[in-house]
Parts: sequence; C-alpha cells; structure tokens
Amino acid sequence: MAERTINLRDLLILVADPSPFLCLLVHGMLRGFGANKVLEVRDSPGVLETLNGHKIDVLLCDGALPPHGGFALTRTIRRNPNNENRTMPILLMTSDTREATIKAGRDAGANMIVAKPLSPASLYDRLAWVAFNPRQFIDTETYFGPDRRFKIEGYPNGIGRRKGDGAIEVAKETGPALAQDDIDSLFNAARTGQN
Amino acid sequence: MADNPSPDAKIFSPKTRFQTLARRPGGVPRGQAVDNALNNVEETKLGFDEWFEGELNGLIDAIERAKSGAHVDDWIDAAIFHTHNLRDVGTTVGFELLTFISSTFCTILDGIKSGVECNVESLTCHVDALLLIRKKQYRNLRPDQLPELSRGLHRVAESVSIVPKTGQK
Repeated sequence: MAERTINLRDLLILVADPSPFLCLLVHGMLRGFGANKVLEVRDSPGVLETLNGHKIDVLLCDGALPPHGGFALTRTIRRNPNNENRTMPILLMTSDTREATIKAGRDAGANMIVAKPLSPASLYDRLAWVAFNPRQFIDTETYFGPDRRFKIEGYPNGIGRRKGDGAIEVAKETGPALAQDDIDSLFNAARTGQN
Repeated sequence: MADNPSPDAKIFSPKTRFQTLARRPGGVPRGQAVDNALNNVEETKLGFDEWFEGELNGLIDAIERAKSGAHVDDWIDAAIFHTHNLRDVGTTVGFELLTFISSTFCTILDGIKSGVECNVESLTCHVDALLLIRKKQYRNLRPDQLPELSRGLHRVAESVSIVPKTGQK
C-alpha cells in the first residue's frame, strides 16, 4: 500500500485526555503533522460542551476519560440524533489493549483504537487510515456508528501484514493485550457492503 | 465478527469534513510529519519535570494509603491512573528507564486490581525506583544500564503478580 499524505490544515481537532502533559505531546505531534487548529479538554463534560459550540472534524479521546470513560462518551455522541458531530471520526486512545476492550471500543462506535503509548508514526498512520478508508455508517435501534464488519485488506501506510491473516474472529472472553497491529486488524478495512 | 446489520438498519455514507479536507494535496508527507512531531515532542520535554512531580506525588499519595492499610478500592484506581500516565509519557518522550519502572509497576497494580493480593513492599520499591527519575543523570538511562535495578524490579513483578515467568508462555 502506498504511503498516504494527509493534510490537517484548517481541520478542527479535539484532543480529550485527563493528562495535560499528554495533551501537550499529542498537540505537538499534530502540529508536526500540519494541524493548526487543535482544542484540548480534560473530561467528558468538556468534550460535550465543546461539541455544542464547535463543528469538530476529528476527536482524539482517551479511553479512560473522566468521569465515565471514552467508550461511554463515544456511545453518547453517536446515539444523540441532535448532535451535528455525530458522524465525526473518533479515535480512542487507550493503554488497555485487551481484546475485549478493543471490541468494546468498536461497539461503542469508535472509528479506530490507538494504543498508548502513542508514537508519531502510529498516530499519523491511523489518521491517514481514517481519512482514506471511509466507512459506511449503520443506524439501528441498538447501534449508531461505523460499519463494524471487518476483513483484512492491508494496514495503514503499508504496515506489515501477517501471513496467516484472514477473517477476524473476536473472542468472547477477555484476552491478553493486543499489539497495535492486532488492533488495526479489528478496525481495518471495513467491508462496505459490496462483499 | 460483528453481526450483520438487521434488515431495518439504515446504512449510509456520511460525508465528513475530515475525510474531504485531509485528502487535499499540500499535506505534510509522512516522513517529514513524523520528524516534525518528534522535534515537537523534544521541545515538550522541557515541561517534563513539573508534570513528573505532579504524577509522582499523586502516586505517592495513593501508595501511602495502601501502606496505611486502606481498602484496595480506596487507592488502586488512582495508583493505576498515575502509573499508566508515567508509562505512556515515558515511552512517548523516550525515557526508557521510566517506561520500564512504570511498566512493571503497572503489571503489579493491574494484578492487584484483578484480585492478586497486595504486597506493599513491591509498591514501595517501585516508588523508590521512580524517585531516581527525578535526577537527570538517571532519566536518560536505559534499563540495561542499571541491570541490578532492572532485574530486581522484574523479579518483584514476577513474584507478586500474574505476569508469566521469564521464558514461560
């Protein structure tokens, strides 16, 4: 897969993390990528307040964002029909990369899970993936968000694909932590209904 | 794999500004963007001391509660919050010793959260190790440059948590 270049200039990016220093680091990375409009908040009420007053283009949200966590917040945003930011890309950042947690993020309506600790390369690749791989949205009584049906079609910016990759089965039990590649395989290459 | 949508599901393709604008020409190519970001991370390190003191003090408060015999629910979430922050930032800014110490600390605390019995000594020795990071001469070291400390913390984490023994899968 060819490397994709993303243009973040003039996009309004909201970073939500309880740690001011981590926000600063993410902010610095985004500026390095060319972003010039980045807002920061520390908790879920801050996110909801910001969404009321701004048209946010992408949300980078900590999975453990106080008080109820980024997963619950994602669900709240997706399920509110009056929220004009309802379909914005949401990337959840989390240190908890157990398979059950990743699946919970997907089921909450996140576009992508980004494993903490963050690296500039992984963050750029995940943003590029979301930009160049738009997914259809599903609206049902119990779910609103990106299509959760997946198959492996390659990793963002050519990150290695394993020989044995095939259709993803999501285990019912809580499993061991996943590497970012494994997380990608759960969030990768959404089938858009043609298959 | 997630279930297929129900027949009543509405399926649509939202047009987001992000996906439209991010694909415009004129963006920062990946290699340059990553270099720029790494430079910005280096600049951000200037604020590390103040941040580190805040995290460490929060962690010490939590561990003091543990040492005083408080119920695990009274301190474990705060301790996990601060150690995860230390590990995540340590890795992102490239302080490998901090990452190592806070990672083994996370392993122990995650174990306690999952029901493993709390061993106060293991918490204390990790806090003591983290105090080294206050000193700049230690901050930039790698774990292999302090082999006794590293092996000791690893052994502690192995003995009091659910982490598999070395070489065991």
